[in-house]
Amino acid sequence: MGIETEDSWEPKIIAFLCKYCASAGADLAGVSRFKYPANILPITVPCSGSIDMQFVVRAFEMGADGVLIGGCHTPSDCHFLRGNFKALKRVALMKKMLEQIGIDPRRLRLEWISATEGKKFAEVAKEFVEEIRKLGPLGGGHE
Amino acid sequence: MNKKLRIAIVPGEVCGGCDMAFVDLHRNLIDLLGAVDIVFWPIATDFKEEDVEALDSIDIVFFQGSIRTEKHREIIEKVAEKAKIKVAFGACACFGGVPSLADLYALGEVIEEVYLKSPSTENEGGIIPGETVDNPYGILAPKLVDMNYKVDDFVDIDIYIPGCPPPKERILEAVDILVRYFEGRADVEKGTVIAGSRTLCDECPREKPEKIVIDKFKRIHEVKIDPNKCFLAQGIVCLGIVTRNGCGLPCIKANMPCRGCMGPAPNVYDVGAKLVSAIASLVEIENEPKLSDEEIATKARTIVDPAGLFYRFTLGLSRLIRVVKKK
Repeated sequence: MGIETEDSWEPKIIAFLCKYCASAGADLAGVSRFKYPANILPITVPCSGSIDMQFVVRAFEMGADGVLIGGCHTPSDCHFLRGNFKALKRVALMKKMLEQIGIDPRRLRLEWISATEGKKFAEVAKEFVEEIRKLGPLGGGHE
Repeated sequence: MNKKLRIAIVPGEVCGGCDMAFVDLHRNLIDLLGAVDIVFWPIATDFKEEDVEALDSIDIVFFQGSIRTEKHREIIEKVAEKAKIKVAFGACACFGGVPSLADLYALGEVIEEVYLKSPSTENEGGIIPGETVDNPYGILAPKLVDMNYKVDDFVDIDIYIPGCPPPKERILEAVDILVRYFEGRADVEKGTVIAGSRTLCDECPREKPEKIVIDKFKRIHEVKIDPNKCFLAQGIVCLGIVTRNGCGLPCIKANMPCRGCMGPAPNVYDVGAKLVSAIASLVEIENEPKLSDEEIATKARTIVDPAGLFYRFTLGLSRLIRVVKKK
């Protein structure tokens, strides 16, 4: 994401978005021309329940400062019925483990974004980028 | 075979259990000792650092324990240069082992706790490792390296023998391979792991239900464990789902859940994250739609000490620790 020097650090965020809700919501944000920061790199996955927490590890390892996971609203929006619950439980436990390891759990964020919530996607993106900007770059000590 | 193999056993951060694993070979030890010359084994006999310098060549070196101090690193690198086959022996040498759990804290915190603050410590001068001590013996505790390293972070390893300590059968298997290698009858592929290539779950004889549902996580002291039923089905976290097989199931047979000393099964990218994914999703499967998001998340968080439990022997492999510790 561009050339950076010490002073021009920009947060890098990977967003895993489920195909049926959050990713469609991100598309809607685009076609509706809602502005949100370019720091977010979206990756569409079939379902939030298909996101293995190893993907999150890989993202952090490759230089992401934050990871956003977007899924369908609970209890009944998930295209695969219960995938969003899987993501909910995994993220809850993963945050606890990240904290022990020395990574601020706020760097991992779970949001339910439906296909009609383009506005919400743009807002979440803005808010999350600002939050990560405050936390600073990942690495270089226990948080 | 006419020439005896020259063997060195080199400790890093060790507890001594790996040396006991050799002694536990029982009568096989006699055969083993017949086939080898032990040229360096400080725990068994009186070897000093100068003996490392004096060694000309070594056929096989067994590295035991992780690398915690600059001295460990120095000796291990010195010996590695002279050795033909390098073996990482035990969970600490292979994956960092239990000592790696100290990396959940910053190095400064660890030193402060261990050398200055812990109730059992008497350290009037406030001396910490790396400082020259003013005493008649001239003893200097070596400086700690920035984190607890597995051996292959510094030297190339040919064979890994995991386990805490490695099981007897696997040691004999490794010795057999090595003897045949030096007789020119077998090849040693770099990075060979002397263990199974499936998961422990795969060979576990316990009854597994069709569907595992966890309503409450239980710790081993809180519950009477059914010796015939899958641990996870009883709400007890067992690492068999991500751990390599080949240990011979001593823990499972003693009615204790697997703690993962054989290391990750092939294709596991990160042990902790894999376990989070696998185990968290079992929570409250039946009641999901009836509970609020917060209630479900709270249930998933009830595992006590997930990092210490999931990475018990493998934190040195954790990629996240390296992200945190990088400069």
